[in-house]
Formats: sequence, structure tokens, C-alpha cells
Amino acid sequence: MSTVGIIVNPNAGKDIRRLVTPATHTSDVTKVGIVRRAIVAAAESGAERILIAPDTHRLGRRAADGLDAPVEIVDEPVTGSRFDTIGAARRFWKEQVGAVIALGGDGTSRDVALGWPDAPLIAISTGTNNVYPVAVDGTSAGAAAGLVASGIVSVADVARRSKKIVVRVDDRDSSVDDVALVDLAFIDADFIGARAVRDPSTITAVVAAVATPASTGLSSIAGRIHPVDRWESGGVFVRLGAGGRRVRVPLAPGSFTTIDVAEVRPLAEGESITLSGRTILAFDGERDLAVSPDGTVTVRVESSGPLVIDVERTLVRAASALAFDHSEKDDHGH
Amino acid sequence: MSITPAVQFDLHRRMVRIRLFEEAAGRLAEAAKLPGFLHLYVGEEAVASGICGALNDDDHITSTHRGHGHLVAKGGDFNRMMAELMGKSTGYCKGKGGSMHISDLSLGMLGANGIVGAGSPIAVGAAFANKYRGRGQVAVAFFGDGATNIGAFHEAANMACALHLPIVFACENNEYGEFTPRDKTMAITDIVDRAAGYGMPGVIVDGMDVIAVHEAALEAVAKARAGGGPSLIEAKTYRFYNHHGVQNLGLKYRSDDEVAKWKERDPIFTLEDRMIENKVATRQRFDDIWAELRNDIETAIKFAEDSPLPTSDQVLVDVYSANGGN
Ligand SMILES: Cc1ncc(C[n+]2csc(CCOP(=O)(O)OP(=O)(O)O)c2C)c(N)n1
Ligand SMILES: [Mg+2]
Repeated sequence: MSTVGIIVNPNAGKDIRRLVTPATHTSDVTKVGIVRRAIVAAAESGAERILIAPDTHRLGRRAADGLDAPVEIVDEPVTGSRFDTIGAARRFWKEQVGAVIALGGDGTSRDVALGWPDAPLIAISTGTNNVYPVAVDGTSAGAAAGLVASGIVSVADVARRSKKIVVRVDDRDSSVDDVALVDLAFIDADFIGARAVRDPSTITAVVAAVATPASTGLSSIAGRIHPVDRWESGGVFVRLGAGGRRVRVPLAPGSFTTIDVAEVRPLAEGESITLSGRTILAFDGERDLAVSPDGTVTVRVESSGPLVIDVERTLVRAASALAFDHSEKDDHGH
Repeated sequence: MSITPAVQFDLHRRMVRIRLFEEAAGRLAEAAKLPGFLHLYVGEEAVASGICGALNDDDHITSTHRGHGHLVAKGGDFNRMMAELMGKSTGYCKGKGGSMHISDLSLGMLGANGIVGAGSPIAVGAAFANKYRGRGQVAVAFFGDGATNIGAFHEAANMACALHLPIVFACENNEYGEFTPRDKTMAITDIVDRAAGYGMPGVIVDGMDVIAVHEAALEAVAKARAGGGPSLIEAKTYRFYNHHGVQNLGLKYRSDDEVAKWKERDPIFTLEDRMIENKVATRQRFDDIWAELRNDIETAIKFAEDSPLPTSDQVLVDVYSANGGN
């Protein structure tokens, strides 16, 4: 059965960065609207089953309210943490979902990648620094997801394998494996606190899988010195400090600062780099894990990220295959 | 702008002072030694502490029915607070106000308030005066999630934005108004979604993490002080005890499991653990701080118990203005 899965991160687009910078606030009403449009469009475009991840804000439930569409809110625990997205992505893999739509920022896509590494994914940007997700309306995203899930358009024709940053932390009494999709930053701080990296002087190093001069956030540091396209292999490592180039970068939306870069090193596909000592790791822009003075962090960039579905390409394919022509089933109020 | 060890200890001290004051007040109330209502702030300490820690003594705050935490965090005097709760003449309101009327103008604390939603317009007034005087003072309005359903909150938020006042709206979203869960009284989940409707930025912070609250407060207060206008901070938090007192009416309106989950994230203990891990503090140092502040509480209880009740000739004093308000 052709199945589309939808994940909406209720926490995206509401953090402290809105105080410091003119970053967008994404309200629940906005998110519900995007999901509702995606549901309608997916059902219109061949999805026979639409699974929605449960969330603390019941956004999926609200989006589906009153719609005549084959929607199911999947039965998974809701914790109000990233594990809601990770768990839902894993569940979608088990349910053989054909296309996943995820609403959030870079961090939400990261959690999808952790739960289902090979997810066929359309990431819709509702977060702060959105390098990985794209700004696309729910109507187009839902249509593309439905077309791919139903096989009207082949996923192999319209999706590309993205990169990810594979992170291993070996510390005093534990080891942690995690991933980032855009950047991993090493922060000289004592606390995770409000998560967003606010103070540029605390950034000591950044590994980026995608670093373009057109993005905002930590990856823009490398992006403005040594750009790495999202589709080319490998990544880049930058160490901050005096003695090298000084660049102006948009560390947050609408907010520029000067960064001193001591070292820039390209990273080949799979080449690992190890840093030791006390740090706070920021995954895709958010402080998330404290490493003790005894800890080591090993990082590499791999072409093993989610399969990113190109929405426009999918719709163009479908149009040339005459998939949008009115058919008999449309007469039955499909 | 990293949070120095001195600031960490300061935030910790504010939280422990609130916890100890509230635990003592709760015990005394259960033992029928305090007259009147008592809404305890236990569990929410990180909010008042993180925010008041970003304020100067001459900045203003307005408070709520759950107001002890705000005054303690702003530097309130245990003796006068405890005496007020016991209705003694040495209390903040000379024993005639009780829990929900405590104020200390010398600390910029413009009053607890028994009327839900009523604090915000007062903070707007203070912010207006502060802007008019031009001395760079900021006002903070503390209020609950339930209060944002009251007309006065909306009028205050609207006027603060229309006049571009130096104010921070600090919402303590503990997910309940008395015994009613938030989703029974509003169709939105995040109070912060309301901010854009007035034209101000709003952010969500983890209200169980004093560092997170403090980081947001530093930004919002600096913005207000620099003439950048109002903002709203929504701190997601939880009260560990009941709506009022410790036991309350014994009504079952939230699960033990839910309460236990929030208690695992106790704002004081998580900060202590982190500071010890960072080698900024030792367990011994924290034990000493708790012991010192416990002693202050015992002193305050003794002070209050030994203080006299107000005499009957004081009934109308400070209630009506002697000269008709002129
Ligand atoms: C105008 C008004 N209406 C009702 C009440 C009764 N009352 C006291 S506290 C409270 C709940 C307030 O909820 P919230 O603002 O979320 O604060 P919390 O108690 O959760 O800290 C209510 C309804 C009141 N004191 N004032
Ligand atoms: Mg409440």
C-alpha cells in the first residue's frame, strides 16, 4: 500500500534566537496549515495511507481534523523530546513508508536521519537556520510525497543521497553515536542552556558537510572560505583562532559577525578527525552534548544521509507522465 | 557572554532561598500556623531566579498569587516575608496583607496580586514611567499560562507594544490553571504564539533550566534597556506541589507519573550536578550553602513567631489614604 509519513516538530522555530535576531517565528497555526495542505495533496496524488507521528502539541491531529483522507496518527510514545522524531522515523521505516515529510529545522532532519538513515525525505523548513530543509509549501510537498510513495514517479529518478556527519563520543563511562546533517561545532561553554550558539567567541571548531556562502549559521564560516556543495563528497573542517583569515559571516538569520579562522582543512569522504578534551558539541546549530576533559570526539563526513526527494523534479516528471490528467476516479470526489 | 561561576552561584542561591522559604511556609501552613491562602513556587524556582538574576535593584517586577518566589529572587527579606505570612506587625504589609499582597518598593517589587492577570498592566505602567524618566530601568511582568486568557493581559501586551515600552513579559507556563489543564482552556499550546499578535518577539525556554532562562532573560532585558521594546519569554515549568498549599484539596487532576517525571528535572539539583561535573563547585560547598540558608529560615520563623500581631487601632491605617489620595 502506498504510504506517506508526516512528522511535525512542535518545537521548531520558537527558540531564543528570535530575541537576538530577526529569525522567523513559526506558530502552531502555521505548522498545522502546512500539514493539512500536505495531507490533502498526498491523498490527491496517490497516497493510500498517511501516517502521522504523534506530538506533544497534537499538531498532526489538528491538521487532519475533519478531513476525508486516510490518515492515521501512529501509536508511539510522546516524550516532548527529539526521541519523538527519532521513534517516528523508525516506525515509518517498519511501516514501509514510501516518502517522509518532516517539518522543522536542520535538527529535525537530523533526528529523522538517526531514526531511519535511508529515509526518502522531503524536509520542509519551519526552523531557524535551514540549510538542509527547503522552503516549500505543503501542497507541493504532499503532492511529491504521494507521487513517490505510490510509485507514479520512481524515487530513484527524483531523490539523491545526502551527506551526514557521523559522530562518535568516547567519554569517561559511556560512548555515544550520533549524527549531524549540516554542521558539528565545538563550543567552549559549561552548559547546554538555551541550546542555540549565541556567543561567537565560544566556538572553537566546526566540521561541515554542507558549507555554502548562501547559508546562515555555523556552516557559513566554512562556506565563505571553502564552500562545499551539498551534493559533492566530503566536507570541511575549520578551527577558529587568530593568525588566519578574518571573515564576516551570518551566524544567525539577519545577524553578521567577524570570525577569525586559524585553519581550514578539506575532509575527504570517510576521512576521520579526532578532537579531545572538554567541550560542548552543537549538532546542526544547537548545543546538545557535554564532553568531559577525558572525552574524545571522532567525526567523519559520509555519503550516507537520507534520500532527499526533489519536489519540483517529482512534479515535473509526473506532469510529463500525464499523471495530473483528470481520470474517472476524480469524478467520485477523490 | 558566558555565565561565570559567580553568576552560577548567584542563580543557585536565589533558587535555594526560594525552595527553603516555600518548604518552610508549606510546613507551617499544613500545621495550621499560617492564616490565609498560600500558593507555593516549588519547582518553578529557575524562572524567577533566571530572570531576576538579569535585573538591577532598581528594575521593576510585578508578580502573581504565586508570588513568594519572585520577591525572594529579587532579594526579599525572609524575616519580613515570614512575619507577613503569619499576620504579624513586623511583616511587609504590617501583617494585614498576607501572602498575596507582599511588595517591596525598595527592591522594585511592585506587589504580588490575588487577581489573576492584574500584574501585567501594572508592569506596563512602570515601564511607561521608566521610559518617560529615561533612566534605563526595565519592568518585568510575571504571570501564569492561565493569566494569558484574561483580558488585562491582552490590553497590557498591546499597549506595551504600541508604546514600545522597556518591558519583558515572563510567562510561567506550568500547564495548569488551578486544577484545569491548559488544553481545556486554550486552543494553542505555546503561549509564545500570542506574542506576534501584538508585534513583539516571543521565545520558549526550558523553565527547569536556570541557565537557559537566564540566557534568554539577559537578551530580553538588554533589548528592552537599549530601547528595543517588549518581548515575551515563555518558560515551560511545573509546580511540584498543589495549586495552593502542599496537599491542597487532595483532588486528582494530574498523574503521579507526570509529577515524578518533572521532579526528575529539579532545577536546583540539575544545576548542582552540572557545576560539580564542571569542577566549579563541590558537594560540600553546596551542603554549606543549604545549611547557611536553612539557618536564615529558622531565624525568620523565630522572628515571625516572636513578633506581635497588629493592634486593633491599626485596622484602618495604610488602608485608606489620609488625605484622599492627594
Ligand atoms: C480574575 C481571577 N479569576 C480567577 C481567580 C482564581 N484563581 C486563582 S489562581 C488561578 C489559576 C491561575 O493560573 P495561572 O495563571 O496559570 O497561574 P498558576 O497558578 O498556574 O501559577 C485562578 C483561576 C483569581 N484569583 N482571579
Ligand atoms: Mg498555570
